[in-house]
Amino acid sequence: MLTGSKTTFKVRQMLPDIKERMLSQTGVNARSRDLFGLRCLPGECVLQRAVMVRKKLTAREGRGWLSGTLFCTHFRVAFVPQDSPKPDDNADPVLLGDHDVALASIEKVVVVGPNRTKLVTPNSSLKFTPEELVLYCRDMRVVCFLFDRLTPESQVQEMTYSIAKTYQPPKPGSVLSFQNAALGSVEMKQFLSNRRRDAHMNWFESASDWEQELERCGATSWRVSSVNDRFEMSTSLPRFIVVPQKVLDTELKKSFAHFNEGRIPRWCWRHPRGSDLLRMASFQNNIYHEKDDIRNLEMILFGCQSSLCVVVELGEELPSPADIQLAHSRLRALCLGDISTSMSVPDDKWLSTLESTHWLDYTRSCLRKASEVACLLRGGHLTVALQEVEDRDMSCVVSSLVQVMCDPHCRTMYGFQGLVQKEWVMGAHRFYSRINYHRDNDKEEAPVFLLFLDCVWQLWSQYPSRFQLTEDFLLALHDSVHLPLFSTFLSNCQRERCKRSQNLGQCYTPVNGWRDVLHPDSSTDPSDPPLPPVWDWSLQYSKPRQSRFTQPVPPTPPLQPLLNGNLNTNPDKHRLTDAVPGSVFLLSRGTFSCPTNLLPWRNSSSSSSGVYKKSHRRALSSENVPGLERLLKAWALVEFPQALTSTSGPQGPLDPYEPLLPLLMGPCMGLWRECYLRGALHAQAFSHPLSANHLHPVERLAQEVQQLKDKLEQVSTSTDPTPPAVTAEPRRADTNLNQNTNNGTFLFPASRPQSAGALRAAPLPTSANQHTSRGAPAASAPQSRPAHKDTGGSSKHTFLFGHSSVIDAHPDQRYYSASSNAKLPKSNGPSLAS
Amino acid sequence: MEKSGSVDSLGSKRSSSRQPSVDSLSSTSTSRSDRSAQAKPPSAMSSDSVSTSAEFSPELRVKPKISAKQAIRDSDKEELQLLPNETVQDMAQDVTYFCPFTGALRGTVTVTNYRLFFKSMDRDSTFMLDLPLGVVSRVERIGNASSRDVSYGLVCKDVRNLRFAHKQMEDTLRKSIFEVLMKFAFPVSNGLQIFAFEYGQVFPENGWKVYDALSEYKRQGIPNESWRITKVNDHYELCDTYPSTLAVPVNIPDEELKRVAAFRAKGRIPVLSWIHPESQATVTRCSQPMVGVNGKRSKEDEKYLQAIMDANAQSHKLFIFDARPSVNAAANKMKGGGYESEDAYQNAELVFLDIHNIHVMRESLRKLKEVVYPNIEDSHWLSNLESTHWLEHIKLILAGALRIADKVESGKTSVVVHCSDGWDRTAQLTSLSMLMLDGYYRTIRGFEVLLEKEWLSFGHRFQLRIGHGDKNHTDADRSPVFIQFIDCVWQLTRQFPAAFEFNDYFLVTILDHLYSCLFGTFLCNSEQQRLKEEIPKRTVSLWSYINSQLEDFTNPLYVNYSNHVLFPAVSLRHLELWVGYYIRWNPRMRPQEPIHQRYKELLAKRAELQKRVDELQREVANRSASSASERPGSPTRSITPVQTFV
Repeated sequence: MLTGSKTTFKVRQMLPDIKERMLSQTGVNARSRDLFGLRCLPGECVLQRAVMVRKKLTAREGRGWLSGTLFCTHFRVAFVPQDSPKPDDNADPVLLGDHDVALASIEKVVVVGPNRTKLVTPNSSLKFTPEELVLYCRDMRVVCFLFDRLTPESQVQEMTYSIAKTYQPPKPGSVLSFQNAALGSVEMKQFLSNRRRDAHMNWFESASDWEQELERCGATSWRVSSVNDRFEMSTSLPRFIVVPQKVLDTELKKSFAHFNEGRIPRWCWRHPRGSDLLRMASFQNNIYHEKDDIRNLEMILFGCQSSLCVVVELGEELPSPADIQLAHSRLRALCLGDISTSMSVPDDKWLSTLESTHWLDYTRSCLRKASEVACLLRGGHLTVALQEVEDRDMSCVVSSLVQVMCDPHCRTMYGFQGLVQKEWVMGAHRFYSRINYHRDNDKEEAPVFLLFLDCVWQLWSQYPSRFQLTEDFLLALHDSVHLPLFSTFLSNCQRERCKRSQNLGQCYTPVNGWRDVLHPDSSTDPSDPPLPPVWDWSLQYSKPRQSRFTQPVPPTPPLQPLLNGNLNTNPDKHRLTDAVPGSVFLLSRGTFSCPTNLLPWRNSSSSSSGVYKKSHRRALSSENVPGLERLLKAWALVEFPQALTSTSGPQGPLDPYEPLLPLLMGPCMGLWRECYLRGALHAQAFSHPLSANHLHPVERLAQEVQQLKDKLEQVSTSTDPTPPAVTAEPRRADTNLNQNTNNGTFLFPASRPQSAGALRAAPLPTSANQHTSRGAPAASAPQSRPAHKDTGGSSKHTFLFGHSSVIDAHPDQRYYSASSNAKLPKSNGPSLAS
Repeated sequence: MEKSGSVDSLGSKRSSSRQPSVDSLSSTSTSRSDRSAQAKPPSAMSSDSVSTSAEFSPELRVKPKISAKQAIRDSDKEELQLLPNETVQDMAQDVTYFCPFTGALRGTVTVTNYRLFFKSMDRDSTFMLDLPLGVVSRVERIGNASSRDVSYGLVCKDVRNLRFAHKQMEDTLRKSIFEVLMKFAFPVSNGLQIFAFEYGQVFPENGWKVYDALSEYKRQGIPNESWRITKVNDHYELCDTYPSTLAVPVNIPDEELKRVAAFRAKGRIPVLSWIHPESQATVTRCSQPMVGVNGKRSKEDEKYLQAIMDANAQSHKLFIFDARPSVNAAANKMKGGGYESEDAYQNAELVFLDIHNIHVMRESLRKLKEVVYPNIEDSHWLSNLESTHWLEHIKLILAGALRIADKVESGKTSVVVHCSDGWDRTAQLTSLSMLMLDGYYRTIRGFEVLLEKEWLSFGHRFQLRIGHGDKNHTDADRSPVFIQFIDCVWQLTRQFPAAFEFNDYFLVTILDHLYSCLFGTFLCNSEQQRLKEEIPKRTVSLWSYINSQLEDFTNPLYVNYSNHVLFPAVSLRHLELWVGYYIRWNPRMRPQEPIHQRYKELLAKRAELQKRVDELQREVANRSASSASERPGSPTRSITPVQTFV
């Protein structure tokens, strides 16, 4: 960050050096990708290699050590465990293995010597041989490698130097060079260009995507407008925006000038009880409001509700980006300790220091605001418009939180991805500036998106079974933010993204929206690799890990794919029916008011305009305030328990659209330990590498079934479809149980790796060896996933019979037979034999 | 390392646990799935406070007939259900209860010889409060005599305060209902009997039979070549706070034990608590040596500790864990106590564990109560919590127990644990380390045995520490030592959620009946006193109640990892306040989601799978019996379970 020119110089100097030291450069040829056991990306260079290294496993990975070989390439620090099976040559490239760290996500490198600890910088020289190498990552992981005495000393030193010299982004352009390192090769570009977009989620890029969402929500009186198709109305708004049916594009065009950055009120979501959620920037006051404009403005603002609009001002009660940045940096410092001195906050000051970061306060205020909005929407038949000065930070947080709370679809993985696309990517959250990949814009840096993820985690931890996505998914998303590789995060708005991808030959057809077209020469263009979206999880995570992103058994209330917009059997006694058209209220600090200058045009035109008489309006508003306040109170103490029993009881069907209102008291706001404390070494000071010699009974059960299956196959030569189906099922249940451990359910904070520990001795078919136990569900999960949208019965059906193929069963067989002979409980033997 | 052999041991070696794990798991899960099918509503209460009291005050769950539990459940929420031999002492109309969460409520108060029952029909829903009088620590009259209303504050031992008010009695002779309450809340001070002696409920299980010292020692393999059972304390002559059955090193005759007893405070000589089944390393407990200012020594005591060390062939060292901070230990020399000097005890290493005394703990809990009840200041919650130091004390206790467990398990070294008298901190440390070391104690029955052994028989002074039926609420002997221990256990269950057979509710129930005086379990200070008072004959054991409805207390995801050693992370970063206990009165704090419900569903699914495995196994048996000849018949049979599933 501060190093500036000096480092730049260093690195430039170093470049030829790299070439000299490069152990090898992989060719274009796929077969030569495998180097010393490391599966390189096309074009990836291995700079250094150290053998006999042990990696410290975190609690989540099962604790203890894993020995193998450490590599430093010009893209990542890779660790290949011993005995890890040979990767399949034809498999798609995975950017990062399970044990790898991308150079760009490394924040600091520390080495531990016999009796000293040293922070390694690009130009520091080591006067001792490190015993331990600790990588502190931006995503708050701490990865620790231990060098054996058998590791050649030169390798240790060289490895440290290589990492120290390559990890730091020394100049703004380095992000680009990092991308090129990972994605720049011809082969990789070709591979990326041929990637197909995931059709399960809504990308919100084309008009039809938005129409699909309108249909899903049953928002019939809204339409998709392409008035901003060439970003002429607003540079930061997406090409397509949703506006009321009755407003014509020509009328619409006049309203842009009245809002900051032209961000007019736009539709985000419709509550099944008929309320609409809108977002807008603040009003431009220094503009003359013509009568015609006013009519249009009000029509846009009131949307399809004739009666009532509540403007929720997001500035005051929510943290500013600067607040968030400060809180997050304090939280980092607290959770990781002072990296250079290895000092950490003493235990007895932990709680108060955590409090003084204000991070939990900020998550609470976001959740509180979202709960308020959710309660308003539940009341039905009103418009809630979120207003923020720029409409690009907290309104993203609040609008998406509201939808996570209210819409079960947004609690599925694909639904959530669509939500992020809609509210953050298309809503033009300034990812690029806020994440500050280049370290050149410290003023703008603020992890607003990470705050949002924390809020979602809080919701998840209070209602784990109402989410189809899991903590693992949130963690994966959290970590991906720190990798400057994804188009999702590398631009500030759709316009920038389009500009970028146009170079790559995206083209637009009016019917299908954007479509990637491979230019004949794009693959040879060395400068700009195509950037994948973050949602292309296969680039980062192996199948077994991806299978942990979702609960294998969907939450009990069946997810209805379509809200028809009129879940209108609303018994709500608070419904505001008698409101007269034109009432606007401001919600601020939990109370409603009707300040005269709320809508600037009304203020200026109140005398002239006959439509909205001031006195008339005021009388109305005072009548409606109590009703609105009752809505808000719905989540306060008095009526809360009823809401709870209705959601929690096993009796009766529960209303899936009843918002998940979080508890916000001090003791209820938890620290996301799995994320912030996962790398903290002190957390394991007393923990002991537990002898992970027992399989979880469920996994044992799976093994037993596998054995039975093997026996069956021995007995009968005919292909019997049933046994494979049966074996698939138990393992599904096993993931299922483990998924619930998100809450920390098992004996060990991480139960999955525990089984892995036991299996480690056995030769394993996949490289992801601590997740091998998941291998089987991984194979089945993606195929069964689309079925989640259907009702439970049919999904089971597809599952059972979709996977009885012998091909599926074969890898499992290898895996299970290898370990089961040795490990099956003896008690089982007789019953099998008899 | 031990990877290959151990799975076998899970299936076959069953020294400590009751059943093979797979079987036990499947049997519990089937029964649970049946229960969940009955659609038991977790809490469909009319009003918030009602549900909290109904959910957590366990006396509501003590049903006259356990079989008819479901039927009664609805009705007993409406009306006061008297327990056997419970009699109504007084009733008063028009009493106001100032609920700190929902505001003032008017209703009726009933006082029996066991409880206070308040019922209000003020709002559209009924509100009830059901409070065993044993929970009351103090009753104070608030306000002056001249005002028209008389107000009473009830300070409770379970982290809450209640306030009532009623109109001034016109008939001055008539006592206020709260005067009546005071009489029955403090029976000991008023020459009455504690209700446990009158409670006549009969349970199918007899909890007094849960613990038998000899069979527990036998389970541990005692007597063996190095340890023997001695009857020297049969009549509590050696030590009146110890149990009659003690395990001591083989080569120390009873005569010498008496001389050792003379050197140990209150005669509490080092005796065996637990022995490692493989390494023979032991956990022994005692009180402080009577070293005094002059540094007195005892040849017999030194020889005795040497014998404890020699009993473990694996190590030539002995660790003495003194639970106190070293300053306090040194200060005890002035009173004739002190600690072992490493000069006198060859090969022994003394470690101080820095756990503070009962007074510090009492003060800490008092502060905690201020922070959590009734209202919580959200913006300063964490720093307020920190200022109580409660979690810090929990951490020190857990860390101490962890060091003991580590020395025994990893170091294969025997340890001696003591504090001053060896009945407070020592009990915490030995029982927690035993819980970490031995999976048996993590079962429901095993935990009951652990409490009976380490706490009750070894003389933790429950009567003094809790003050059952005693109005002297300022007694300096009161202290939440046992609550701290249960809190530590809860912390362990948080970190190892599947390692314990019992659930949160089990722990909360134990703490509730620690105060309720409904059961005889926690009465008196020592085994001798309990025998004298004929507690087992005249009262019901808490374990009778618990063991009669085990399914309420069972952790659905319990996995029998009996030969695992639990080493928890004890950093404050990994400890949490037990909100389910300390903040349970706050209606906003109730758990949002009945996660156990989902676990039960999953377990039901698992049971189903297990059933199919059994079917498959049977089929394999059939096939191998009939070999290849009957092949055409079997595929159809094997398809059937799949179809039923779909």
